[in-house]
Amino acid sequence: MDTTITQPTDLAGISAANVIDARGAACPGPLLEAKKGMGTVAVGEVIELWSTDPVTKTDVAAWSGKVGHEFLGALPEAGYDRVFVRRMK
Amino acid sequence: MADHEKLVFMVTHGPDHPEHATIPFVMACAALASDVEVVMGFQADAVCIVREGEAEHVEAKAFPPLTKLINDFRELGGTMLVCGPCLKGREIPEADLVPGAQVVAAGRFIAEITSATNSLVY
Repeated sequence: MDTTITQPTDLAGISAANVIDARGAACPGPLLEAKKGMGTVAVGEVIELWSTDPVTKTDVAAWSGKVGHEFLGALPEAGYDRVFVRRMK
Repeated sequence: MADHEKLVFMVTHGPDHPEHATIPFVMACAALASDVEVVMGFQADAVCIVREGEAEHVEAKAFPPLTKLINDFRELGGTMLVCGPCLKGREIPEADLVPGAQVVAAGRFIAEITSATNSLVY
């Protein structure tokens, strides 16, 4: 699994091709939204997933490693996380 | 990673056990989202949860409603196999099952399990 985490300062500067609001969704909802969202962006582009489930960032990191995308990291916001993943295939 | 991975989830709990009925769908949907082929097999009381309308009454705390998970599972391309004798014993006609559910017997379950990367029983 790719565990490379982009620094928060770098993450804040990322302009995602698609921002997916999965706040309020329970497992596996955010993961399924990430899967769907990945199909909406081109290879090399980034999706940004919003989730109120605190385990989403580790779940999406594991999923990214499994399916071959690049997990960039997560930024905490008030009550939710912004999770960044780059489409790699 | 293997070129092709396949998981079989055997579900044996029905509406009276919401978590045991729901969690296999959570896992199965996550597997499908991870590009893993998934077959779900329903035996014993679990055949009731794939009866049309039955899942509307099943919700495990902190998980999505079972109806949503079943819909997600179907949209993601999962396969649902239902034990024929278990249906017969409960007098549930095949026509009452959710779309996409296939009625099978032990031989098909064994074929799916023996050809899978791994199998899980709930």
